[in-house]
Amino acid sequence: MKRYASIFATFARACLVRDMTFRVNFLLECVTSIGWMSMNLAFYLLIFTFTPEIGLHTGWTREPFFAFVATGLIINSIVQALFMPSAEELTEMVRSGGLDGVLVQPLDAQFLLSMHRVDFSAFANGFIGIGLLAWAIVRMDATPTPLAWLLYPLLIVCGVAILYSLVIMLAAATILMGRNQSLYDFWFYLTNFSRYPAEIYAGPWGSPLRTLCTFVIPILLVVNVPARVIAMPLEGQAVGMVLAPMIAAAASLALSRVVFLAAISRYRSASS
Amino acid sequence: MTNPATGARPGSVALPSKVPMEAAVDTRPPHRSCRDRFAVGHGLRTWWTMLAICLEERLVYRGDFALGTLMRFLPIVTQLFLWTAVFNATNQTDIAGYSRNDMVAYYLLTMVTRAFSSMPGLAGGISRSVRDGSVKKYLVQPVDYLSYLLAARIAHKLVYYAVAILPFAVVFFVFRSYFPPLPAAATVLAFTVSLALSFLLGFFMEATLGMLGFWFLEVSSIVFAYMLVQYLLSGHMFPLDMLNGIASGIPGISVGNLVGWLPFEYTAYFPAAIWLGKIRGNDLVRKLAIEAAWTIAMAILCRIAWNRGTRRYSAFGG
Amino acid sequence: MHNSNDKRTCGDALGEPSLIAVTGLAKDYRVYDKPEGLLASVTGLFHRTSRLVEALKGVSLTVGRGEFVALLGPNGAGKTTFLKLLSGIITPTRGTARVLGHVPWERADDFRRRFALVMGQRNQLWWDLPAAESFRLHKEIYRIDTPRFERTRDELVDLLGVRPLLLQPVRELSLGERMKLELVAALLHEPEVLFLDEPTIGLDVVAQHTLHTFLSHVQTERQMTVVLTTHYMKDVAALCERVVVITHGDILYDGSLGDIVDRFTTHKIVTLDLDDTPSHERMAGFGFPYEIRGPQVILRIDRARIADVLPDILRSQSVRDVSVEDVPLEEIVAELFRSGESPATARFAEALP
Repeated sequence: MKRYASIFATFARACLVRDMTFRVNFLLECVTSIGWMSMNLAFYLLIFTFTPEIGLHTGWTREPFFAFVATGLIINSIVQALFMPSAEELTEMVRSGGLDGVLVQPLDAQFLLSMHRVDFSAFANGFIGIGLLAWAIVRMDATPTPLAWLLYPLLIVCGVAILYSLVIMLAAATILMGRNQSLYDFWFYLTNFSRYPAEIYAGPWGSPLRTLCTFVIPILLVVNVPARVIAMPLEGQAVGMVLAPMIAAAASLALSRVVFLAAISRYRSASS
Repeated sequence: MTNPATGARPGSVALPSKVPMEAAVDTRPPHRSCRDRFAVGHGLRTWWTMLAICLEERLVYRGDFALGTLMRFLPIVTQLFLWTAVFNATNQTDIAGYSRNDMVAYYLLTMVTRAFSSMPGLAGGISRSVRDGSVKKYLVQPVDYLSYLLAARIAHKLVYYAVAILPFAVVFFVFRSYFPPLPAAATVLAFTVSLALSFLLGFFMEATLGMLGFWFLEVSSIVFAYMLVQYLLSGHMFPLDMLNGIASGIPGISVGNLVGWLPFEYTAYFPAAIWLGKIRGNDLVRKLAIEAAWTIAMAILCRIAWNRGTRRYSAFGG
Repeated sequence: MHNSNDKRTCGDALGEPSLIAVTGLAKDYRVYDKPEGLLASVTGLFHRTSRLVEALKGVSLTVGRGEFVALLGPNGAGKTTFLKLLSGIITPTRGTARVLGHVPWERADDFRRRFALVMGQRNQLWWDLPAAESFRLHKEIYRIDTPRFERTRDELVDLLGVRPLLLQPVRELSLGERMKLELVAALLHEPEVLFLDEPTIGLDVVAQHTLHTFLSHVQTERQMTVVLTTHYMKDVAALCERVVVITHGDILYDGSLGDIVDRFTTHKIVTLDLDDTPSHERMAGFGFPYEIRGPQVILRIDRARIADVLPDILRSQSVRDVSVEDVPLEEIVAELFRSGESPATARFAEALP
């Protein structure tokens, strides 16, 4: 474990050195990702000029909703910074045979493949998210309880773990299929469901979708549960709600590990 | 190839070797026209071959394709639910002139327009080929790079439509009750023209962006910034009519008015708004004219960028 | 020329098991045919045909400690597949293999710490960073303790004379410089077994020579076992005693390089510098005249007859200069590859005693 931590530190250090070599590019990446985020925020602000709430009596009025958005930003920035750059590179590694070099090293392949790159610029959005969260909480009617403050970081870790498992399963698919340019698209479209409060998935089409995205692919637990814990008072059924992401995180981590190992054992390697 | 009258190859008969070829051809009109006809026929054949090869290439990656098409509907689903929730919570029956049904129809229609105007990987591909030097291939081969790119893109789109038509048809059938009755023939015609123009406009805008690779080493940030602006101002995110109530600071002119003069809204909002009857009469004609003007301007700009870029490239040796 | 078979028996007699032991190793691939033409591509959307390709047909081989083995074979013969199996990158369809006592594709950390794989066309070093950073990472991954790491690194770096390159980003280096640093990285953890996949591909003659000297020095010093694939006979001549020829996923020949020359050179090349221009007929009496250019003659003469023919020539012609050479190695091996292509030809391996 200590060895893995020190190897990860080496990776992170190397990436930082690299980012600082291309400083302008690094800054541009920060600026563009902040730009993308501000655009989304502008869109939500625009929506709230036409409505007081997202969904009737859901409680997602302007400030709680922005607390929700902030939570999403924090979780996604962690995933984008730590895991996505490596996963994106995987397609190229499979195609060019770079994966071969990874497999001969005395190190867990999943660790190496999912964490060898760190994109520090992706943390920019996380910091904005923290600022936005503070802004929303200050302006909200209800203030979070100490318990909520305790649960919030824990649930964020669970959310990150669930998304990480998804990244690993997509990586496994890449290894099996040899190439998969839609990896990133797939990721984007799937996590798209977690961008809004779960309550919007209502009605004859929405309810089954909500069930599917809660219990089968637990994507709705990622942002919703921590956001709800921090932005709304905890009620009676809160225990189940808080436990769900923890169970889901453990289960999806285990499943993704199995899938990944199966994919590696079927790896064909690029011919040369 | 051979001239049926003389049995000899055109342009090669009894020409004094000192006379430059073009001058000689110019003095012999019949031969020139013959050559031109050949050139046109030849050009079309090259074009068709390019198209066919690109189609083949695209079809190889059918797995990605089918998956990608399916995935593309997921964000719209989220968007539909979001708007349903918004309409549930507000006491208004319409937002910026759009009823809930209009809103659903609008997002589905922008999917169609984006299917025409979006050019995934075009700008990045061009700048990459400049950076890694594979663009040299097109400087050496007797093929016009822009034509080749256009052919490749049409092929790309054709294959995409072939695969995507089914999911599109299913979605539109499911949501048919959200659409207004079929518009008049003239509106459908205007819609079709605006779609075709949106394809060309999208192509030339992205291609021009890719040409920046001749001047800048790294264009991915520029491309990303473009995508951001494009996403916001094309109407992909929300109907641009929502901006009409927002003052721009210039008296009498809203943000919506300003956006209307930019090329972006013609790649998503405009065709959808035509179909939904949001733009009619003189406004429609005026906007079609703006769209056509932008398309021509971008095509010219793109050609200039290519010419300047390749000149710069060969001068500095890439 | 040392015979590798003797060496192996010797090793076994001393009770040391083979470092690499492979029996009946086979790898099949399913390949999807890409149909030609547009129409076929469209139908290919709904139906694909596939066939099984036997990349490796059941190879058996043992390699002892300290051997330097060359795998030769035309493109697509299965050399790289074989190396990938031995390094555990892919799993075989059939057969067993033990490398350093481990089944490679179980990828035990203990196994992976004891070997290295270098691929000439691939990059293991971080592209945008100086090699020193990659070395440091290597140190962590392979758990090399600091004194040992520094000693090994300095030694390797000085042997190759690449110390000034250590702090330069790898992307700024030439192919040859990069390859040298790749080798240093691969040898930092002092592997007992080294797999080299076309290490000299694309390198100039000087860089090739440097690598040869370096590799043979390190190999002897460390008693390292090396398996190398290459297309350059220079690599083989400079480095390897034992040669394994693979064609169509099968071992065609396994023996010393000297044996190949002995067994498969049926002729010698004799170059004569005469006083006058001889006639074709006159020369044909001695052997097959390859080329007669003025007084310069190149003859191909049966190896069995050379001892009789040469004195004859010297006696009957006025010879200014003479040289007798073997048929170039490249030609012998090319001939060997070709012989594997026709199924009618008896396998050379079987023809051996």
